[in-house]
Amino acid sequence: MTGFIVRRVLSMLVTFIVVSIVIFLMMHSIPGGPFDGYEMPLPDNIKAKLMATLGLDKPLWEQYLRYMWGVVRLDFGVPYQSPGETVMGLIAHAWLPSLTLGGLGILIGAPLGILLGMAAALRRNSWVDYLASAVATLGLTIPVFIISTGLILVFAVWLHWTPASGWGEPKRWILPIMAYAAVPLATYARYARSTMLDVLNKPFVSVLRAKGLSERKIIFQHVLRNAAIPMVTIFPAMFVGIATGSIFVEAMFRVPGLGAYFVSSIDKRDYPLEMALMLLISAMYSLSYLVADILYAVLNPRIRVGGGGR
Amino acid sequence: MTTPALELRQITKRFADFVAVDRVDLVVPKNSVVALVGESGSGKTTTGLLALRLLGATAGQVLLNGEDITSLSQKQLKPYRRQMQVVFQDSYASLDPMMTLGEIIAEPLGIHGMGGRGERQDQARNWLEKVGLDGSYANRYPHELSGGQRQRVSVARALILGAQVLVADEPTSALDVSVKAQIVNLLQSLQTNMGLSMLFISHDLSVVRSLADEVVVMLRGRVVERAPTDRIFANAQHPYTKALLDAVPTINPKARRRRTFLSREEIALRTPRFRPEELDAPPLIDTADPQLVALAGSHFVEAIVAERAIP
Repeated sequence: MTGFIVRRVLSMLVTFIVVSIVIFLMMHSIPGGPFDGYEMPLPDNIKAKLMATLGLDKPLWEQYLRYMWGVVRLDFGVPYQSPGETVMGLIAHAWLPSLTLGGLGILIGAPLGILLGMAAALRRNSWVDYLASAVATLGLTIPVFIISTGLILVFAVWLHWTPASGWGEPKRWILPIMAYAAVPLATYARYARSTMLDVLNKPFVSVLRAKGLSERKIIFQHVLRNAAIPMVTIFPAMFVGIATGSIFVEAMFRVPGLGAYFVSSIDKRDYPLEMALMLLISAMYSLSYLVADILYAVLNPRIRVGGGGR
Repeated sequence: MTTPALELRQITKRFADFVAVDRVDLVVPKNSVVALVGESGSGKTTTGLLALRLLGATAGQVLLNGEDITSLSQKQLKPYRRQMQVVFQDSYASLDPMMTLGEIIAEPLGIHGMGGRGERQDQARNWLEKVGLDGSYANRYPHELSGGQRQRVSVARALILGAQVLVADEPTSALDVSVKAQIVNLLQSLQTNMGLSMLFISHDLSVVRSLADEVVVMLRGRVVERAPTDRIFANAQHPYTKALLDAVPTINPKARRRRTFLSREEIALRTPRFRPEELDAPPLIDTADPQLVALAGSHFVEAIVAERAIP
C-alpha cells in the first residue's frame, strides 16, 4: 500500500511538470502581453522596462525555470492584475466563497442523489424511478448556466423567495448552492441506481432470499455495502467540479470567488495567476483520484488482502 | 407411497403474455435426484425459482415435504427455508465479495438464530472440511478461490442448516471438465451420506446420467418427457429428447453421431403417436392435442393418442 501511494505521488509530480510546461507554452503563445490590453497604450520604453522588471524579456526556457524554481519554494509570484498581493494570497481569499458554496452544494446534492437513486432502484418503473431518470438526464445535459438562469427566474424573479445574486448574507447562498448541487445530484441519482441494481441482480441476493433473510436486511447488510464502493470512489472527483463549475456559477450569481479569475487571467495575460490556477485544478484532479484509489483499496477486500486477484 | 420431498403441481408462470412455465408437474421423491433438462429458455431455471418460492407462481402449487407452501408469506415461509436450499451456476456472483468464506457459510445460522457467534464459526469450519476445503479458508475472501472451490463453498452454505432438499441450478456448467467431475462427486457423496433430495437443473446430459435417478425434459415451458434415467438414455420417445441426446459430444470422432436440430414444425410432425391399448394407463383427458401419457416403466411422454398409431 505504501509503495502504491509513493508511486502515485511520483506520477502526480510528473503530471504537474507536464501540465506546467503545456500551460506555460500555451499562455505565452497567445499573441500580445500583459501590457497590451490597455485603452491608452504604454510607451514602448516604459513597457520594455516593465517587461524587464518582471523578467519577461528573458528567453522562454529561462522564464519557465525561474517560475518553477519559485513554485518549488511555494512562491507563485505576484498577479499582474492585482500587484498589491501574492498569487497565493489572492487564491486564498478568493477561494472562500467558491469552497463554501461548492462544498455545501456537494454535501447537499450527493446524499439527495444517492437517496433518489436508491429509491429508484428499489421501486423500478415507479414514479420515483422516472423522476430519478429525469433528474439524472437533465442535470447532466443542461449546462449549469442555463440551470442557474432558470433558478434565478423561478425563485428570484417569479417567486421573490431569494435574492438573485450570491454571497453576503446566507439567504443569498441558496441559489448558487442549488446550482452547484445539480451535477452531484444528477451524477449520484444515476450512479446509485445502477450500482444498486447491479448488486440486486447478483445471485447471492437470491441465495439470501432463499435463506429467509428479510428484504430490509438484504438491502442494508449486503446490497448497500457492495454498492457503496463505487459510490464512495466517485465522491472525491465531485470536488473538482467546484473549481470548474465556479467559472459559470459565480458569473451567473456574481459571487466574488475564484471563478472569474480563470477567465480574466487569460484575458489579461496574467501568467503567474493562470499558471497557479491550472496547477491547482490539476492538483485537485490528481488528489481526488489518489484519494479515490486509496478509498477503493481500503473498502474492497479484493485489493485489501495482499493484492491477490481473480 | 411416501410423501415426496418436493412436489410441483400444475405450476405455471406467466410474464406478461409469455408463458415461461406451463402446467408443469414434478415430483422429487425423498432421497433421490431428479434432473430437469432442456435448452436455455425452456423454463427449467424458472421452474427451480418457483420451487424455491423466489418467484411467485401464476397458478399451481408447491409442496415441500407434503406441505403446501404456495401461498405462505415470506415471513411464514422462513422456517420452511431451512428445509430447502439452492446452489446457483455463477459461483463468484453467488458469494458476497465483501465477506469472508467463514462469514458467508455461517450466515444462514445467524439468520435463523442458531448457535452463538463462536459456535457458528466452528460449524462453518466443519463444513469447509466436509466439502473438501481446509478449515483455514474461513478467513479468505471469495476472489481468492477457484471456481470449483467457490462452488464447494456454495454447497457448504446451502447445507449448513440441515436442508434436506437442494435445488442445484446448473452448478457445474461454468466449471472445467475435471473440476466439474469433482463437484459432481461431492454432490453425489453428500446426497448419499445425508439422504438429500435434489432437483438438479442442467443441460449437461453427461452429468445428469451419472447423478440423476429420474430425468424430466422441458421444452418451451412444458414437460415433454419424463422417465428413469436409464430409460431416457436407452429408449427416449420424444423427438426433442432424442435431439438432446444426439447433441451430447463424444470423445471418439468416428463415433460422432449426426446432430439433429429440430424446428417447432419438425417436433410437431414427429410427436409420437400411441394407440390407447399401448399405454400403461388411460389418458386423463380425451383430446387430439399432444398430452403427457404413461408408458410402461414410469415413462411419460408427450404424445398424441389416436385409434391408429402411425408407425
